[in-house]
Amino acid sequence: MSAPAWIGVAILGSLGSVVRFLLDDAVSTRNPSSFPLGTLAVNASGALILGLLTGLALSGEALLLAGSATIGSYTTFSTWMLETHRLGEDGQLLAGALNVLVSVVVGLAAASLGRSIGATL
Amino acid sequence: MSRQALALTTYFGERSRVRGRLLADELLDIHARHEVHASILLRGIQGFGGKHRLRTDRLLTLSEDLPLVSVAIDVPARIEALLADVSAIGDEGLMTLERTRMGGAGLCTSEAASTSSEEVKLTVYLGRHERVNGAPAFTAVCQALYDGGAAGATVLLGVDGTRHGRRERAQFFARNANVPLMVVSVGDPQPIYRALERLGEILRDPLLTIERVRVCKRDGVLTQASHDHPLASKHSPDTRQKLTIVVSEAARHDRQPIYLELVRRLRTAGAAGATSLRGIWGFHGDHPPHGDRLLSIRRHVPVVTVTIDTPQRIAELFPIIDELTAEQGLVTSELIPASSPLHLAPGL
Repeated sequence: MSAPAWIGVAILGSLGSVVRFLLDDAVSTRNPSSFPLGTLAVNASGALILGLLTGLALSGEALLLAGSATIGSYTTFSTWMLETHRLGEDGQLLAGALNVLVSVVVGLAAASLGRSIGATL
Repeated sequence: MSRQALALTTYFGERSRVRGRLLADELLDIHARHEVHASILLRGIQGFGGKHRLRTDRLLTLSEDLPLVSVAIDVPARIEALLADVSAIGDEGLMTLERTRMGGAGLCTSEAASTSSEEVKLTVYLGRHERVNGAPAFTAVCQALYDGGAAGATVLLGVDGTRHGRRERAQFFARNANVPLMVVSVGDPQPIYRALERLGEILRDPLLTIERVRVCKRDGVLTQASHDHPLASKHSPDTRQKLTIVVSEAARHDRQPIYLELVRRLRTAGAAGATSLRGIWGFHGDHPPHGDRLLSIRRHVPVVTVTIDTPQRIAELFPIIDELTAEQGLVTSELIPASSPLHLAPGL
């Protein structure tokens, strides 16, 4: 991998995490329910975009920059797990289970939708 | 032996800054400089203030800038000097000044003489690792309060503060044995005084404050309405009322955790602000004192929510609290006298 690609990974990686923070904050502030909608919105939209990018069949470094760096830092597995655990701590076991299930179903659907859109472009 | 004292409480945000420094650091430095007899910095788990932004530790992104609460207790002269310095650094957040009495274990004898039928609030300041007969002191204090028949007690862990005038700040890699924690309890005077006698026997050099409080509701039973406070009728426009609601973190109303629903509804109803603090141990109602259980996902610690507003607004908000505490919880009310300086500024 070339030096510019490394620098690109660093820059796009930081950009992805900032965008995640802004979107999560905006969604969570507008929907002050106890269900972590912000993280779901981030992960589902990330899956859609990553599906789209792979559907576009980008070449080597372009996919690394857009996929691994940008979407990799944008979506978050750890926050999803942490917030599921917090739901359990509050005794909202059903909401916790739903958070896992809904994220998986919506995420898979978003990724395959993204791929089929990307393939037709 | 008890002395007249003042309690200066500040509600602000973790990210609040003054003079390029964190307000929490600046505030506690001032407490230390004045060698305040007892002070404590508590970290909230959710809340909103003047800016009406909801902060909560439940969602990672919303958990930056959580609410903080600092309390400083000393004789009036020292608190007034402290207040002058604190006011000089700006008016971020909400500040209240309340009268109290402070002392050691002898607090009961002089107080018992002037006993009234009204409930009292007893606060015990301890060190984080203080021990009584090999057990943590805070559990021993809660047990004494429970045995005495107090209505409830909650242990709140401090992260910074002063004890007997000395700064005790929690550090990441340290024993933090003397970092202050507080046990807040309420109840009828007689049970509290019974517990106080026991505390005098088990605690070395205890640091206590006592003041009057009104228990509005306990375990779903409305004991006294919050708004027909005897003093409320003749309050001045500057009088504020402080409502404190204690529920278990696991307690639910309509399948929602009560403490979450409470702050959410208060915010929707346009309350001036609210702050929730999670205790590490305690009781309210008739169950014995407890904390979290090992190998249990659900948390069973008490959560304390405080909201301060004009008596009129509190009366309007009370139905929300009344509904959510239909089966459980402990609701108390205190009037913050008009003579106190009170800054209501966009904080948090």
